[in-house]
Amino acid sequence: MNERQWQRLLHIGASIVPEVTGLDAEGQRRFRELVGGALAQRPRNMQRQFALFLGVLQWLPALRFGRRFDRLDAAQRDAVLRWLLDAPAMRLRNGFWGLRTLVFMGFYGQPQSWPAIGYRPSFDGNQHLHA
Amino acid sequence: MRERSFDVVIIGSGAAGGTVAKELSSLCREGLSVAVLEWGAKLREQEYTGREAEMADKLYFDSGGFLTRDHAMTLAFGRAYGGSTVVYTGTSLALPETVLARWGVPGLEFADLRRRSEKYLAENNVHLLPDADLNDNNRLFLAACQRLGYRVEQFPINVKGCHGAGLCNLGCPNAAKQGTNCVQLPVAESQGVEVITNCRVETIGERECVATVANPSFGEPSRWPEGRYRIRAKAVVVAAGAVNSPALLLRSQLPVRLPALGRYFTTHPALILVGEHDRPITNFYGHPKSYYCDQFVESHGFLLETCMYFPFTTAKNLIGFGAVHSELMRSMDRMQMILVLAVDPALADNRVSIDRNGDPVVDYTLSDGVLDSLVASQKAAARVFFAAGCHRVHAPAGVRFFLTASERDRLDELITRDAFKLGKVSISSAHLMGGCRMGGGPSTSVTDAWGQVHGVPWLFVADASLFPASAEINPYVTIMALADRVAERVRARLPELRTA
Repeated sequence: MNERQWQRLLHIGASIVPEVTGLDAEGQRRFRELVGGALAQRPRNMQRQFALFLGVLQWLPALRFGRRFDRLDAAQRDAVLRWLLDAPAMRLRNGFWGLRTLVFMGFYGQPQSWPAIGYRPSFDGNQHLHA
Repeated sequence: MRERSFDVVIIGSGAAGGTVAKELSSLCREGLSVAVLEWGAKLREQEYTGREAEMADKLYFDSGGFLTRDHAMTLAFGRAYGGSTVVYTGTSLALPETVLARWGVPGLEFADLRRRSEKYLAENNVHLLPDADLNDNNRLFLAACQRLGYRVEQFPINVKGCHGAGLCNLGCPNAAKQGTNCVQLPVAESQGVEVITNCRVETIGERECVATVANPSFGEPSRWPEGRYRIRAKAVVVAAGAVNSPALLLRSQLPVRLPALGRYFTTHPALILVGEHDRPITNFYGHPKSYYCDQFVESHGFLLETCMYFPFTTAKNLIGFGAVHSELMRSMDRMQMILVLAVDPALADNRVSIDRNGDPVVDYTLSDGVLDSLVASQKAAARVFFAAGCHRVHAPAGVRFFLTASERDRLDELITRDAFKLGKVSISSAHLMGGCRMGGGPSTSVTDAWGQVHGVPWLFVADASLFPASAEINPYVTIMALADRVAERVRARLPELRTA
């Protein structure tokens, strides 16, 4: 993905996981590494489909709101994404599922995000059970 | 191309390949040679970090996200020294007699299969965890099922020295899980079996296979130098798993016509449900999977199991996004989780095929019956959550993100088939079965009851791809019992195969 597509992904990602807006430079770098790594493993046609889906998402709202996704307010962005979640065409639902999955990976795949969500794994979990 | 030659070559080192390797390892003392060709790496102890994305990349095909052709379902299967036994939770059940009867494989008798299953239950140290090692996530499920009058059993698991890391699905960092990487493969190697990791088999020809060794950036390097190999063998045992075994045989253009090859693929389609308590509970500490409820298998075609997953896996299984999704994610230490699995029928059109590159493609249609089972299972799981004290529940087929405890008597109208849309929900599977099914003859099956491929006397299949239909339980012990049979047949036939 080029820089413009990355910025678009981060912007859309903030509507999927609001905490993405709070990622500092290092957090954004880790986000890109996780998402980029996942995309790189996919077949080329799937990578192209994802880039295409990002483009569709950017311009689709123009049909209803007369503006691109990145020019919508929060409620309008939410409405567009909710429509995609339950879209009539399975391909669109699949596309949004893929987008959500990548954003979730980019954020929740970072161990740095775990303390805030109450996830504190331990190689000796039984010690906590027996305490 | 480098040349190698063995008496027996086993492709794959998981539940089946590891079992066959150990069972045939005594051949090495008799002067015969046995090799295991494993696509995955053998990780070093310190490489089991418990970090979800990192371990998924290292231990699973497609990082655990192999998609069916229509993208409706994700298949998770391991790629490592030890195969999927490195990443399963170790629940160990023997195949019920009723299921074997439904399989209807001529020559496959229950008493024989049970005897072999008992052998592996013992070999893998399968036992019930003591009460002190059960976490709240499991105890709450037990108590709720009992309160509702649902039949609930404790899972026997294959661990030795479990510290309750709860990271089973990312590889046990304490080497406690008794997969083939810990039990069968080390024994096999000590007897002289050569296990070649980082070795991908491309095709099988007449008593030979072509493979490539390429070392990734993690794990131990392969015993063989990198490069391409032609490996000759008197007998070849394919144990590459229910996706890769049929794919390999399809790529290999066998000298026989097997219309069932790749077909009758079953998966136990599964969903993760989450209930939220109003206080922290122990859930990611301790073994994640201690109980199951099989009350509804016969009546409604589904099972409920306890489970606990990691942040990314949890996030992607919640059907939503934005503030409400984040709100639930922030309560990971208050989550109770249930995995629902549907018992799916073996349909000819649910199949593994290959694309023009020879890579596997899985076509799988979720039948109406399975979809109905998955919706019904969510209602049962929601009842369990509310009986356990959850104040709200997230169900993939819920009409909204949260269902609250005050709505527990309205689940029929709040969890619906209409809300359960393919492509929206995260349906997954880790029980991949069929594709090289056992049976009476080549028109309807791929192998006989001993895993020998019809019409190809030197070629055997040993893994879950042998299953003619769903196992209706976790398949691993059954895989090992069948692999035990295959090893016995290979050993019996080897003298004539060596002179052929």
